[in-house]
Amino acid sequence: MQSSDKPSRILVIGGGFSGLTTAVDAAESGAEVIIVEKNSYLGGRVAQLNKYFPKMCPPVCGLEINFRRIKTNPGIQCYTMSEVTSVSGGPGNYDVTIQRHPRYVNDKCTACNACAEACPAMRANDFNFGMDKTKAAYLPFNQAFPQQYVIDAKACKKDCGTSCKEACVYGAIDLDMKVETVSLKVDSIVVATGWNPYDAAKIETLGSGKVPNAISNMQMERLAAPNGPTGGAINRPSDGKPVQKIAFVQCAGSRDENHLAFCSYICCMASLKQTLYIREKNPDAEVSIFYIDMRTPGRYEKFLNQVQADEKVSFIKGKVAKIKKTKSGDVTVTAEDMLSGDKVEKTFDMVVLATGMEPAGAAQQLPGVNYIEGFAAPGAGIFPTGCSRNPMDVSKSAQDATSAALKAIHAGKGR
Amino acid sequence: MSDQILKPDLEFTKEIIAAGGESLKKCYQCSTCTVVCDVTSDRKPFPRKEMLYAQWGLKDKLLASPDVWLCHQCSDCTAHCPRGAKPGEVLGAVRKMTIQEYSSPSFMGKMVNDSKFLLLLFAVPIIIFLFQLFIQGHLTHGIPRIPNGQLMSYSLMYPPTLYIDTVFVPVAFFAAFMFYKGLRKYWTAMSANYPAPPRKDVLTPLAETIREILKHSVFEKCGVSKDRSTAHKILFYSFVGLAITTTLAASYIYVFDYHGPYPQTNIIKWIGNVSGVAMLIGITMIVMNRFKNQEKAGTGSYFDWFFIVVVYGVGLTGMLAQILRLANIPVLGYPMYFAHLVFVFVLFAYAPYSKMAHMVYRTTAMVFAKYSNRR
Amino acid sequence: MDKKLALYICKGCSIGESIKLEKIETVSKNKMKVPVVRNHETLCGTEGIAMIKADIAAEGVNTLVLAACSGRVKYEEFDFPGCIVERVPVRELAVWSQEKTDAQQAAEDYIQMGIIKAQKGDMPEPYLMETVKDILVIGGGVAGMNAALQSANSGYKVVLVEKEASLGGFSAKLYKKIPTTLPFKEPLIVDVDLEPTIKSVESNENIKVFKSAKVEKIEGQPGQFDVTISSNGSSEVVKIGAVILAAGWKPYDATRLGHLGYGRFKNVVTQVELEEIAKKGAIARPSDGKPAKKVAFVQCAGQRDANHLPYCSAMCCAASLKQAKYVRQDPDAIAMILYKDMRTPGRTEYYYKEAQNDPGVMLTKADVSGVSEAPDGNLYVEMKDSLLGSSVKLEADLVVLATGMVPATADDPVLNLQYRQGPGLPDLELFNGFADSNFICFQYETRRTGVFAAGAVRQPMNMTEAQEDATGAALKAIQSAEHVAVGMSVHPRAWDLTFPDPMMTRCTSCKRCTEECPFGAIDEDEKGTPFFKPGRCRRCATCMGACPERIVSFKDYHVDMIGSMMKSTSIPDDEDEPRVFVICCENDAYPAIDTAALQKMKLDPAARFITLRCLGSMNLVWLADAFSRGVDGMLLMGCKFGDNYQCHFAKGSELANYRLGKVQETLDRLQLEADRVKLVEVAIDEYGKVPQMITDFVDKIKEIGPNPFKGM
Repeated sequence: MQSSDKPSRILVIGGGFSGLTTAVDAAESGAEVIIVEKNSYLGGRVAQLNKYFPKMCPPVCGLEINFRRIKTNPGIQCYTMSEVTSVSGGPGNYDVTIQRHPRYVNDKCTACNACAEACPAMRANDFNFGMDKTKAAYLPFNQAFPQQYVIDAKACKKDCGTSCKEACVYGAIDLDMKVETVSLKVDSIVVATGWNPYDAAKIETLGSGKVPNAISNMQMERLAAPNGPTGGAINRPSDGKPVQKIAFVQCAGSRDENHLAFCSYICCMASLKQTLYIREKNPDAEVSIFYIDMRTPGRYEKFLNQVQADEKVSFIKGKVAKIKKTKSGDVTVTAEDMLSGDKVEKTFDMVVLATGMEPAGAAQQLPGVNYIEGFAAPGAGIFPTGCSRNPMDVSKSAQDATSAALKAIHAGKGR
Repeated sequence: MSDQILKPDLEFTKEIIAAGGESLKKCYQCSTCTVVCDVTSDRKPFPRKEMLYAQWGLKDKLLASPDVWLCHQCSDCTAHCPRGAKPGEVLGAVRKMTIQEYSSPSFMGKMVNDSKFLLLLFAVPIIIFLFQLFIQGHLTHGIPRIPNGQLMSYSLMYPPTLYIDTVFVPVAFFAAFMFYKGLRKYWTAMSANYPAPPRKDVLTPLAETIREILKHSVFEKCGVSKDRSTAHKILFYSFVGLAITTTLAASYIYVFDYHGPYPQTNIIKWIGNVSGVAMLIGITMIVMNRFKNQEKAGTGSYFDWFFIVVVYGVGLTGMLAQILRLANIPVLGYPMYFAHLVFVFVLFAYAPYSKMAHMVYRTTAMVFAKYSNRR
Repeated sequence: MDKKLALYICKGCSIGESIKLEKIETVSKNKMKVPVVRNHETLCGTEGIAMIKADIAAEGVNTLVLAACSGRVKYEEFDFPGCIVERVPVRELAVWSQEKTDAQQAAEDYIQMGIIKAQKGDMPEPYLMETVKDILVIGGGVAGMNAALQSANSGYKVVLVEKEASLGGFSAKLYKKIPTTLPFKEPLIVDVDLEPTIKSVESNENIKVFKSAKVEKIEGQPGQFDVTISSNGSSEVVKIGAVILAAGWKPYDATRLGHLGYGRFKNVVTQVELEEIAKKGAIARPSDGKPAKKVAFVQCAGQRDANHLPYCSAMCCAASLKQAKYVRQDPDAIAMILYKDMRTPGRTEYYYKEAQNDPGVMLTKADVSGVSEAPDGNLYVEMKDSLLGSSVKLEADLVVLATGMVPATADDPVLNLQYRQGPGLPDLELFNGFADSNFICFQYETRRTGVFAAGAVRQPMNMTEAQEDATGAALKAIQSAEHVAVGMSVHPRAWDLTFPDPMMTRCTSCKRCTEECPFGAIDEDEKGTPFFKPGRCRRCATCMGACPERIVSFKDYHVDMIGSMMKSTSIPDDEDEPRVFVICCENDAYPAIDTAALQKMKLDPAARFITLRCLGSMNLVWLADAFSRGVDGMLLMGCKFGDNYQCHFAKGSELANYRLGKVQETLDRLQLEADRVKLVEVAIDEYGKVPQMITDFVDKIKEIGPNPFKGM
């Protein structure tokens, strides 16, 4: 760490907000950092958010600064579309292999969009949770970093020949790209693999994912985002009707031993934030929030007060445990209003399920890393950070990731 | 309700826990249970509030409410409970405690629900029936003697009017009286909590309730344990059938002076046998359902199993006694009949304290709920 | 450095088809005196880069103007160490966002501005000074001790200042703590066990501990702070590189909670007092020492309450669950927790479940409205809106109030900085007195460079969180000490080697810079003359924007540079064709514009974009210069300001706005309409709105009519 030392080499797995923060903070402290990101872009979940709570500021703002820190720091190397396939050795001496999946677009790409224009095939846009489509040759989103196109080979039409390749005058399209294996030697590993939205289809009491206008909170982020499927208009998926009456169903899967036993930390604040999306866009819209406990710890209370002061927003203490679609596409929810002690059944244009965060380790675990209930556990030279180790929000992740940077640097000392 | 002073009672909470509600402390009041419950009313629904009262040991609120009996333990709540608090089981425990609370004498309630006293409970009818054998001279050195040489008939063992009825008629009166006492206390307690019923007429609610029970219309709404409704219906109607059988038998003897054994073609045999088989089928289905839904709904407590075993006992011994009589195997037949009498005694004599009592408490609660305009 | 310029124009991405290069090349060569001018089909391709590298080697060019795409892309390709690289986003601003007819003029203007910028700029040379890297930690609680250990173990010397006679802070006052490892199992309370930590701090040769001590003052700047520490009557000055503020918290003054019985009844105590009671042995009530059998916990006592603490202290719900277990050490006693919302976020939920799974721990949601006297020295806790009834009361023999955390910085600067702008961290009223960051993404930001807050003084948090927080703060402190040692800025321009270099001979001591610097980097001497403390500087150049004498410069950024760029821009002769400057922040507004261009959205041809480090560096002289040249309007695009400001330099856009308030004078002097200048707040994701914002402004300018100075 003292500038005379040999720099620590740190592998950061995951290029979401936590991973980026660890990477830049470690690199700005003299470490050499390698980021391995499975997506074709950096930024992770945060890139999919419309705004942050409680500041209501756009996440790309902070990402832009961090990208600039990456651009100006020679100590950071990024592998996108890559996964760690093996880890051996120990602190100060890890051998890691990573697999780089083909992007089919090389570094010559200038993001000129010619390939996408030429491409005849469409694919469901996973960035927008399938709510719209892109060409099979596409830029993940308009402020993606790196600003480099990707080709989704699975979506390619077999008979299109090579229209994208012909359209690219820079020779950036390389349809023969293969999976590459890269071997690395690092001193320590930071696990920042983040989280996945809990799959609402598993929640029987909330419609098992079969109610089209009961969307997840992450889908809501995309609906509200200017680069989302509707350009920021909050219209319901089934028929595009602008949403006038909306309900938020808290703890959709969280604090539930049948699903996620823990509290996902972010959902209360996220729903309050999304309430503001709606209320700012539509002064007549009515919002109902069904909750068990409103969890707005610390100074987030102010944000709760702000939303509570809005008379078009009502809070109902009671978990929704029944959701049905009506013929017109509306959604009927049932809950007990615990303070009055009566069951209520209300109908809304759209319902947002505040689905929780399932740690990435629940679905896919990294070699050499221990997990407890899907959450990554620390090891001698292995430092989980952010939502891969505990449910937390962006600010906590940013803080946590900075702390992980120091721990990772320490592990590389004394080699 | 203004500034009512609540009296949390740790002991009462512990009692519910001991009575089979061990999961009650897991409830964190989300109200999933009340929402998934299709049986509860929309106004002041259960079981969320009962879970809270149980956690706080608020005896008055729990035991003087019809709501715990409106629950038919479908276990939808238990299946969907996010914390594994099993409201269905907790309410079951509370019902058991309601029976214990109102049944008198109270020591009986405790004994019936405590496995320690199981042998004693059975010892009572065994002694009574052995004594009957003794005074008939059927006991030699304490060992029952098989009446032999004649066509096998259980009337030879226990002549119905003299022996059977002298035991069971008082038992029936005892049970009925104890039920009456208990229900009166229960009704009074509920009336204190839900005063000034707007509907003065009890008969209409009673009729409605009976209609509901006959149709099992509430039970039909269950989700997770749908099959329980069918099972319960079969068992319920088997009891009805057996009640008819008993009534017929009594009228044969006392009105027509017509004594058994009756030929297998007699209507009484038809009803009795169909009901007996139905009883066994019903109770077997109930047991199977319990194991099937074990994970989601739990298997129940001693209280439940006591009742299940007794019903099994009554049904099996009854059917077997008949088969053995027809097969003319007195060595097994007479002991089987003896066992049958013991089980029937246990079923009826302890009915005010056992799960059997749910029949009258639930009916009462349902009537009260309608009467007090609860729903 | 002797500069030799080269201009490279890329023809790729439709630039070649939209723009006639010959004219630009001729002008650049002849008028602008650029010695090397070349173009290439694909400048970012291997051949293009090779061409540039060849020129660097053969021609000795070292100042490169790359007229191609935006600097936000192709940064790896266009990286030429040792050279000044000026990226001119011709593709975005002149081609993709312009109609063909407007492209040529735009390209000429932008390339010309790029050349001027390159001509006027210089290679950064870091400000180097004698520095130390020792770290001062204020506060010897869990956060402070951990920060000290983390820094010391990283090889840095640490000075730890604790106000009490012993280390441990608030944690030392606890009877037990919540276990820190999952799964939570009985017993749910474990020993705090601070001794090993205290021992390792006190025995660490890199850590010097001052107890019963106070930071009297901090003078100087990061890398060379002079910290005066007083301890037991004597004082000492130590040299410090960076500061970690871990001064912790104190409980809210419960005497203000009379409505909850505190002060009126002896048997109403705070959570903190219950810790003391528990430490003495069985839970006994204060009035008569009888064992407490019915203990009511009133959550959010004086919290989430506009009359007291408006925020939630985040840890009290779990703390009351823990204290309920204290009560339950007596098997006959009950603990009744009355909450507004149970807040046990994340996996603390498991603790809630385990602690609750005890028949003697009873919980209900309730709004406790008061505490009154009951028989036998007991108390009634009156509740509204409880799940047990809308208006009910409970009898308790002891009532515990979960009063909240008040940060040490709420009414004491603690740091005692000898800064012209004051002794504490500014803006703390935005955070209810906590020394918190305003940035979601950057939690260790403060407006005092080299000072990082950690633990409960930063945000309400529990012990485990405080430890993590302290580790992060240690990293930031180390980073800051290291950066200042090599003359490099810290976040957000953590790569920047420039520094403000004022020409003091022309200073009029007007103090604008000292007042406006968002980071308090500029002090004044006795005569009121400012002197810059580069170690405190974040290179936002707000001082450069503030200075009416235009004397503050950076090697690669100064008033004359931007002014000259503006002067070089074409002014259309046609009265119907206005010229408007859009001055935008490079962090948010420019990326928004860049994104609009990427999506091929059209930007008004009247506009010429000039990016600034921060809108705070906008100097009013540029307005005067531009208007006197005939420019028709100036649109300033900065970050959102106000309480939820998005400016990465905290106050930049707000200060630009404040300065605009004073621009009227200039406009009046020129007899120009006030509407010719406008500031708009633009967020980075508002690329969809930016084109219309510009067009609206241009339309407004058209409505006002041409600048009378046009053509003069």
